[in-house]
Amino acid sequence: MANFEELSKSVISGNLAKVKKVTQALIDEGVSPLDIINLGLIAGMGVVGARFKNGEMYVPEVLVAARSMRAGIELVQPLIASEDMPSAGKVLLGTVKGDLHDIGKNLVGMMLESRGYTVINAGIDVSSEKFVQFIKEHKPDILAMSALLTTTMLGMKDTIELMKEEGLKDQVKVIIGGAPISNDFADEVGADGFAPDAASAVDLCNRLLA
Amino acid sequence: MTTRTNFKAYSSTMMKVFSQDQCQELVLAAEEAMWRTGTDFYDKESLEILKKAGCWVDGKRVRIPAHITEQALKTCQKHVVLCNSRTGARELFVEGNNAYFGSGPCTPFTRNPFTNERHRATRQSVGWATKVLDALPNIDYAMSLGIVQDVPLLISDRHEFEQQILNTDKPIITVCVDAWGQADVIKMAELVAGGEEELRKNPFICLYAEPISPGIHCLEAAQKLVMGAKKGLPTIYTPCIMAGGTAPATMAGVMVQGLCESLSGLVLSQCAREGAPFIMGGVYTVLDMKTTIFSYGAPELHLLLAGLADVAHYLNIPMFGTAGCTDSCVIDEQAGIEAALSIAMTNMSGANLNHDTGYSEYGTTSNLDLVVIADEILGMARRLTKGIHVDQETLALEVIEKVGPGGNFADEDHTLEHIEENYAPRLVNRAARNIWEKAGSKTLTQVANEKVRDIINHHEPIPLPKDVAAKIREIVENAVGHVPGEDE
Repeated sequence: MANFEELSKSVISGNLAKVKKVTQALIDEGVSPLDIINLGLIAGMGVVGARFKNGEMYVPEVLVAARSMRAGIELVQPLIASEDMPSAGKVLLGTVKGDLHDIGKNLVGMMLESRGYTVINAGIDVSSEKFVQFIKEHKPDILAMSALLTTTMLGMKDTIELMKEEGLKDQVKVIIGGAPISNDFADEVGADGFAPDAASAVDLCNRLLA
Repeated sequence: MTTRTNFKAYSSTMMKVFSQDQCQELVLAAEEAMWRTGTDFYDKESLEILKKAGCWVDGKRVRIPAHITEQALKTCQKHVVLCNSRTGARELFVEGNNAYFGSGPCTPFTRNPFTNERHRATRQSVGWATKVLDALPNIDYAMSLGIVQDVPLLISDRHEFEQQILNTDKPIITVCVDAWGQADVIKMAELVAGGEEELRKNPFICLYAEPISPGIHCLEAAQKLVMGAKKGLPTIYTPCIMAGGTAPATMAGVMVQGLCESLSGLVLSQCAREGAPFIMGGVYTVLDMKTTIFSYGAPELHLLLAGLADVAHYLNIPMFGTAGCTDSCVIDEQAGIEAALSIAMTNMSGANLNHDTGYSEYGTTSNLDLVVIADEILGMARRLTKGIHVDQETLALEVIEKVGPGGNFADEDHTLEHIEENYAPRLVNRAARNIWEKAGSKTLTQVANEKVRDIINHHEPIPLPKDVAAKIREIVENAVGHVPGEDE
């Protein structure tokens, strides 16, 4: 019986070197690559997520754990056909046009990745046209838009309108966030949800894709 | 008779975070970061100005040689005065160790003092907030306490300023959405002052811009800073940084990151117009690692800004600090603790112009009850920094002798003569329990809320002349919004 517990524990403590070592050992033993991911790496991150929610772990610890998990996945990935790679979903992420604020969106991205999502980061100052282009290219399950300014948050509505015009709105859920955003605003612009912080953004994605 | 020689006395309570040597160490580290790492400017004109001044420009990245920074520190105006908008009286000397306090700008939300509903800020809410700021004796200037959102959002700043100038004669710090907004607001201020020269002579407005940390001077911020410098109007430049997120986790690292951004802004202002009055701002705090909020109540906020005050004093440049705010979503015990600690500590540090009084919910929602409570805290904090005056009269040996053991000082002339030294509270309760119960057993927040309502219902700010108000209205009505990021 492969030792998944040791791998999970290494992920929880964010011990990147050990995660690599144990993952490699499991691969060498001939353990199923999908089991390594699901029962070892992702299982470890599951514990991290629960502990973060309980206030027992802090953001940097979560991110370090996620980094060690990714290092493990990189070792296993070549052994799995890409369509078999487990993913909680694909999220396209960006800050709207005219807005260069970066950190909140990036925290959301890192928290999503730590919970098994594939994240495509479109960056900052992303126009509606660019969002739509990214959607066509990457076919995400969810589009997550960020804005810090009341002057730029209108870009969210523009993007959603353009998505409707292009017939993309039914295929992709839209979530929004940032200091001036509220549930009411999300309803007003036709988004599928609003999350007040990074952790609840993950919960929101889970709910929308359930 | 006693004689005192070679004697040192404090005229105020003293507090220091950094020594002179440490201040120098921080500033030199910032100069190193400005040169080694540099910062990014997104405005073409700013890039040209900086390049012409001798900075190393590579695309958006600007590396500033230390001698240019040091020159800018020499040339910026140290003596900055903000005036009364109706009379031109010179009121706030934003310099040295003077500490002034006022509200904050730009909260998307506010709490209605009559219904307790949390909603988006409006023309009415900003008008009410300004009225409250106008009426409170310890509040020295006004910021809007809300982004007006019941108007087209791209011109909300013009509406905001109109509400402010109609409702207070105190100095106004104005935060505009972009250079066009700032140009309109300056135009309105010039109308009130009686012309461009009059406004420059006795400025009652102070401009405001902020970089996006770490190290990005966005188009709007750089353009507003250059415009302020060219107009010769005091301009605040405020990095809002969080340890562990947009700055290093170490407090010294936060200082370096913040100073690097502020001083890069200073260099731009001085290269745009030598001698321009520049106010070094700061909201330095932590990224809360449980919730990922930008904390307005963390002890590190007060510590970092008291440290920044030491650096500002060392550099002899005016500083814009932060106090009287809370992460709490309502005005409760947490709000009181956080507001009191920040006001007391900031006041002791001698930071010059301190904002964000009235911020709740980590800076997203303004609350007028908190402004009124902060006004009372300010009274207490200022009593703390008045210190204890020691001389023959205050040592009071004569009256101690006169009253003698078992006597009573209450009816002595000496007592009457010195009673005003001590703070007389206006809001907090010191009454006996029965009396407090008879008055309705109210909490501090309830009393504060009653005062807010009373001010809104009854306070009458000194009005603007009707013709000036009409011209301002005209500018507001003709304002044209520009899409963010638009350059021309």
